[in-house]
Amino acid sequence: MSLKRVRILLGKEFLHGPKNYIFIFSIVAPIIISLFFSLIFGTLFSEKAKLGVVDEGSSQLVPMAQELDSLVTREYGTVSEMKQAVETGAVDIGIVLPSGFDSSVMQGERIEITAYVWGESLAKNRTIIGVTIADLVRELTGQEAPIEMESITLGDGESIPWNDRLLPFIVLMAVFLGGLMLPATSVVNEKEKNTLEALVITPTTIGDVFLSKGILGFILSLFMGILILVLNQAFGTEPLLLTMVLALGAVMAVELGMILGALVKDFTTLFAVWKFGGILLFAPVFVYLFPQIPEWIGRIFPTYYLIQPIVELSQQGGSWPDIAINVFILIGLDLILIAVVMLTLRRVKQYAT
Amino acid sequence: MARDAILAEELTYHYGELVAVDRISFNVAEGEILGFLGPNGAGKTTTVKMLTGQLKPKAGKATLLGMDIARNVEKVQGEIGVCFEEINLYEQMSAVENLRLFARLFNIRQFDAEAMLRRVGLAGREKDRVETYSKGMKQRLMVARSLVNRPRVLFLDEPTAGLDPASSEAIRSIILEERERGATVFLTTHDMMEADKLSDRVAFMNQGKIVALDTPHNLKQQYGKRALKAKVTTESGELEEREVTLDTPETPSAVQKLFAQNKVVTVHSEEATLEDIFIKITGRGLTE
Repeated sequence: MSLKRVRILLGKEFLHGPKNYIFIFSIVAPIIISLFFSLIFGTLFSEKAKLGVVDEGSSQLVPMAQELDSLVTREYGTVSEMKQAVETGAVDIGIVLPSGFDSSVMQGERIEITAYVWGESLAKNRTIIGVTIADLVRELTGQEAPIEMESITLGDGESIPWNDRLLPFIVLMAVFLGGLMLPATSVVNEKEKNTLEALVITPTTIGDVFLSKGILGFILSLFMGILILVLNQAFGTEPLLLTMVLALGAVMAVELGMILGALVKDFTTLFAVWKFGGILLFAPVFVYLFPQIPEWIGRIFPTYYLIQPIVELSQQGGSWPDIAINVFILIGLDLILIAVVMLTLRRVKQYAT
Repeated sequence: MARDAILAEELTYHYGELVAVDRISFNVAEGEILGFLGPNGAGKTTTVKMLTGQLKPKAGKATLLGMDIARNVEKVQGEIGVCFEEINLYEQMSAVENLRLFARLFNIRQFDAEAMLRRVGLAGREKDRVETYSKGMKQRLMVARSLVNRPRVLFLDEPTAGLDPASSEAIRSIILEERERGATVFLTTHDMMEADKLSDRVAFMNQGKIVALDTPHNLKQQYGKRALKAKVTTESGELEEREVTLDTPETPSAVQKLFAQNKVVTVHSEEATLEDIFIKITGRGLTE
């Protein structure tokens, strides 16, 4: 394998790859679907997370929260007023700060706070409010928040917002259309037009050709994954970790694309395999679309180990400990797939030309 | 004495149970043009794939410029140029872009794509997308692409198939120029006239085996017959055809008798074509 030849082929891919309709489709489809769902579910121009507060004393927390740009904080006179605001969705979360809240937390006393949560509020808004309250208390006291928050869901508590449910599907589509379909179609196109034979008759190896296509697929896959999360305002509080998970997902998509490209000889077969294989790839999405499906079913499918960390980081406010095991499984799957790619390329070298 | 550019020894390949190439041995000297002839399915393409490092022989050995092909694929492929029968160009790219891409893959820094395109008669269209080219133009570009690395051994698979006479002639001229430069040419073709015209030697391949290998002249001498064909006027004034076999001890007297006893109107010689010889050796035609 020669890095110089990979670079030359990558240059060709960058120059002529964007003329490939799959390339265009890989970019346009996830964006359009994402915007479509956002428009349908009214979250495209969604406002900031809204916090309702009943301050029974005169806590500094309220003015501090009101100063924040990332949050809209509304103060209510009575608990019933605030609960009504939560039920109607006027605020995402409502909390009651008892009298003497500030002094109690500064003395390190353990305080229980009840949070009323609008059942249809976006997960990201809940995350933002939860993290913000913890930050404000830490700022107020200079220590970890000694508060325990009990959540009470008001309104339709069973109803997870569709935008949240659909996010795993859109992210997976963004990652796999570019990462899997671009290298696969590009290789199959070279096979159908016999240009692969022309390339490998030069000192260029099959590995050089596949790697160049894989790199382009990886870049597009990662870019689209990030773009879709940004468009859905779902980048959460761990952007680097989320990018790493997306990168591991992009690697998985590219590897599957290479295997598919190596084994399939024509577009008809490729799209037939994509239709069937797509069901397997997207199966874990149904666990998030329909939460009544047991989560263990999702774990059967490899893409679950990509989706779960993304959902955890972008919607649940999770951090490394919450995703570590699944990320290690994802890395393991990537390594296994690399071995499969190597074996497949050896087979292609022997039979495909 | 010229060295061998290609040397095949007991070269064998089979696809499962089907033996495509059956222990063939031959050599091609440096600077020689070898016509490789045979019907579809004879094993020509499989042989070329083994000689160009695309397939590893199941048995036997092949060397190119002294290098064991199976063990030095990358080096071998740096020394060869291959022109495929099927058009396999990047059609969304221009001719110049196609040639420059391949020149870079061969690690050639100073490559004059325009000059190469002038040489194959594509000057003026070098920046047009290849998809707008006629078949003849594409084929000439294929030949140009096979020459970007100034190959020492050139493999050409049906380079003039389906082309108009002008394009065919242009490609034949290039083949001869390459031989003049010192390149060895391995020419696979169905066109017996072309093989006869261009090849120093021809190899007939049938059912995975080489059934004859020699110069066209020697093959004709060995397997064909030359004849003198004359049209004579009979006593009743009708035209009749007479034939005298050449190259036999009886030929001189037969010719003398022909002219003495008949009023000869026209006379011409006829010799066996390579196709006739192929049929004679294999019992079937090239197009079967």
